[in-house]
Amino acid sequence: MIQFNDVSKIYNGSVKAVDNVSFDVQDGEFVILVGPSGCGKTTLLRMVNQLEDITDGEIILNGKSLKELNKIEMRRKIGYVIQSNGLFPNMSIEKNVMIVPDLLGWDRKKRQDRFNHLMELIGLHPDEFRKRYPHELSGGQQQRIGVARALAADPPVMLMDEPFGALDPIIRNRLQEEFLQIQKEVNKTILFVSHDIDEAVKMGDKIALLRDGQIMQYDRPAEILNHPKNDFVSEFVGQDRVLKSTSLYSVKDLEQTVGLSPHDDSARIKTIKENTSLRIILSMLLNQEADHLVVEDSHGNKKGSLTLDHIEKFLQVEVREKNDGVSLQHE
Amino acid sequence: MEVLTITDFLNYFTNNSEQIFDYTLEHIQLVGLAIIISILIGVPLGIYLTTNDELASTVLQITSIIMTIPSIALFGIMIPILSIIGQGIGFLPALIALILYSQLPIIRNTYTGIKDVDPNIRDAAQGIGMTTVQRLWKVEIPNAMPLIMAGVRTATILNIGIGAIAAYIGAGGLGSLINQGISRSNNTMVLVGAIVVSILAIIADLVLKYIQKKFTPKGG
Amino acid sequence: MNRNKLISLIVKIIFWVGLIVFFSWAFSNDMFLPIFEEPGAFFNLLGEHLILVLISGSLAILTSIPLGIFLTRPRFRKVEFFAVNIANLGQTIPSLAILALVMGFMGIGMEAALVALFAYSVLPILQNTIAGINSVDEDKKDAARGMGLTNTQILWRIELPNAAYSIIAGVRTALVMNIGTAALAYLIGGGGFGVWIFTGIQLFDNAYLISGAVPVSMLAIAVDYLFRGMQFVLVPKGLRLARQAVS
Repeated sequence: MIQFNDVSKIYNGSVKAVDNVSFDVQDGEFVILVGPSGCGKTTLLRMVNQLEDITDGEIILNGKSLKELNKIEMRRKIGYVIQSNGLFPNMSIEKNVMIVPDLLGWDRKKRQDRFNHLMELIGLHPDEFRKRYPHELSGGQQQRIGVARALAADPPVMLMDEPFGALDPIIRNRLQEEFLQIQKEVNKTILFVSHDIDEAVKMGDKIALLRDGQIMQYDRPAEILNHPKNDFVSEFVGQDRVLKSTSLYSVKDLEQTVGLSPHDDSARIKTIKENTSLRIILSMLLNQEADHLVVEDSHGNKKGSLTLDHIEKFLQVEVREKNDGVSLQHE
Repeated sequence: MEVLTITDFLNYFTNNSEQIFDYTLEHIQLVGLAIIISILIGVPLGIYLTTNDELASTVLQITSIIMTIPSIALFGIMIPILSIIGQGIGFLPALIALILYSQLPIIRNTYTGIKDVDPNIRDAAQGIGMTTVQRLWKVEIPNAMPLIMAGVRTATILNIGIGAIAAYIGAGGLGSLINQGISRSNNTMVLVGAIVVSILAIIADLVLKYIQKKFTPKGG
Repeated sequence: MNRNKLISLIVKIIFWVGLIVFFSWAFSNDMFLPIFEEPGAFFNLLGEHLILVLISGSLAILTSIPLGIFLTRPRFRKVEFFAVNIANLGQTIPSLAILALVMGFMGIGMEAALVALFAYSVLPILQNTIAGINSVDEDKKDAARGMGLTNTQILWRIELPNAAYSIIAGVRTALVMNIGTAALAYLIGGGGFGVWIFTGIQLFDNAYLISGAVPVSMLAIAVDYLFRGMQFVLVPKGLRLARQAVS
């Protein structure tokens, strides 16, 4: 667990890059720090592995204040990925990925096994890449290697500074998906800096939205989208925030809140799975692919049907009711 | 040899200022003429080489071998060759040597400068209907100018140094002070020669750096 | 074969033919005679020349690489700025002037020659060491620090391998210039091939000129190629690939 207690960073005696920030990150939680450039998100991240000194307050990592920890040792237990991948051009891919285990004195066999495992995890063939050099790889491959390198010594905590920021949209999207899969398997505590609210909504269990070094809102993505705390948050997430939020819900959520209609074979219908995201459903309905969508559970049993009306009603419940103060989530 | 004091130095300087001035002028003439001829050969050649990569690598290899030959050794090789036409010693072998040494920096920098012009700029020039010659004069040479000037600067500094050594083959210049000072065991004369030639090199470096900056496009 | 290749081939042939003509002319006019008539003296000069270059060169390497590393440490950033400027300025000073200056203070002899050659070789190596280390991407160093490498580990594993190309290039430049300047060491009593070259000039003796000038040129060219080879062997493969991709 990472606890930020009244953390501040002041440059040159006056410039407040981070201003009295407090929040907790639970074990296994994926937290996105998001905000416009200059909001202090990267500084905040870099304070965790002590690349930036803490001016005031403290950061507590698994019960111990950072000040009590040896800088070098603690950094080796924290995975670190940066935007421009930071791979070392003079080292082969294997040497790059295994640099921390090497520093920790792992034996050859253990290092080799770990390398093979990590490469499979990120979907690259170990033997094909072992002896190659960063310069021979595409941007997407380099960034995957950067992720593998951060995972090498199996650190419980990962810090990621816009790791996919420099990639083109298609590759970025693919790497985001892949990384979510990896996270399901490795279950790390992750702090992830992004300037892109869509990425934050897609990836994070929670989002910390920053401005001028202060946290504007720290919440689940759905809460940030549907119940922005102030004008800045609502402007940052965009006018289409409700539309964005539909990707966070599945048909199952809708079924639990507003229920389905009995299905009707007469109309133009299409069958969908229960775990499909509402964003896709909405798009299908607006596309006029069908008037009614018939929902099936994972065993193929028909549970009922839904139309645009259901989605409207669901969003009303989600957005309006909770705005009236019935918020389930309160930090 | 006695230790030199500032007073000795200044005394020598004022007593022999005319001679020092003459040597300096000789030095500048030799280096200046060599550089002008080198530019007239090196820049067009460098431009031509951008159309023939094969030849470029050959020429750059040959000029870099010449550059590796120690200057006094190049004089040593040229004297017997030029004696055939009765010019073994004096101004001509020195001039030829200086021109040879200047080729690598000038050709290489011209070639690289023009090769490095952003392909998009070249495309744009073509797109607005410039002919190859217009493109060369209006786009490529101006863009390559800072690098060409840097090559000229390197060549000039090199030539000032080699020009000093050329005094030993009778080409005159500031090296003569060092040469005569050593043979007469006149320490002051040696040091004055060394200091004046160093100052000449430093001034040339600063002036050419300034010119180089003038040629660098604003905002570049 | 296309026209470009043909022109290039012709230039190459002219170059080699010129060399062959020169050597056959020199041989047929007995210009290498001193080497065969006085092999003892020849090897003596070669030995003197090599000693001058090796001693002053290795001292320069041993001083300027550590100094360059030292100056690039964050604490010395301000000093580094001055060092770089002095190195730039110092390199414009002609080799003969350096010899003359040193002689002015130390008198004549092998020691003065060694000091002058040392001073002349330090600057290019220092300059290239600093430039090489500074060219290492700040991001790479940041990543290394973030992963828990100590400053010493960053130096040995990241900075020096990445600066290797530049450092070796500096050593190559310094040694080639050193060989050339050592040929002037005769003037201040340092020995070496300069003895025959300057004797040749003073006596108008072409045989001594050629017998001194050709070997010293070949020595310089050989050292140049040796270090180009070393650049290939010592620079990590990944960096060579990176350089190729850029050029």
